[in-house]
Amino acid sequence: MALEKELETYKNKLPELKQHEGKFVLIHGEEVVDTFTSYEDAIKEGYKKFGLKPFLVKQIHSIEQAQFVSRFITPCSV
Amino acid sequence: MPHFTLQISPQGAILNALIGLSEARQGALKAAGQAIPNLVPIRALVDTGASATCVDPSVLQALNLSPTGNTMVVTPSTGGKPAAVDQYDVGLIVPPADRNQVPLIMTTLPVICAELLVSQGFHALIGRDVLRQCVFSYNGSIGLFTLAY
Repeated sequence: MALEKELETYKNKLPELKQHEGKFVLIHGEEVVDTFTSYEDAIKEGYKKFGLKPFLVKQIHSIEQAQFVSRFITPCSV
Repeated sequence: MPHFTLQISPQGAILNALIGLSEARQGALKAAGQAIPNLVPIRALVDTGASATCVDPSVLQALNLSPTGNTMVVTPSTGGKPAAVDQYDVGLIVPPADRNQVPLIMTTLPVICAELLVSQGFHALIGRDVLRQCVFSYNGSIGLFTLAY
């Protein structure tokens, strides 16, 4: 899976990140860079700071929220 | 409020749109001296049954994207159980039918990669994440839908 290290960091840091519920966190490797009010701001900062290197932007939820798609599709990666 | 009205096709509320890189990714490619891929023309279905916008892998591959997010998704294909999927940041442009009106532009939108869309006759599902910023009117009695933004 892509962004494996960043997802592990998110999981490990979630107890501290919970205070920012609903905000978007920017993570690179094991570093939690910052939290942002909007998805767009977090993405902008990610590209500004890390260019084309891997980084993760994820909305903080103490209980993971799922997206729902009623049509028959198969989620995939490129 | 800018808007356009289109005929409802047998597949539903279908519109033509363009998908490209998010504004921020374009900047990163420029800074790295790399070429920016052209916008990809797509057919998209406005789908109120999708909480997130989904895009066919052929479109995301043409843009040479890497994931910048991850979320859980539940679809009939996941057997009702949440599955972890990558998210990609893109830009979405829906050109207006009338040239005097402004297009719907989302410079940074997280999308999920989803197979089986092309076989259903379109490349993307426009989900409620986009509709959150719009007024979507579906008038089945006269076979028209309107999107205002």
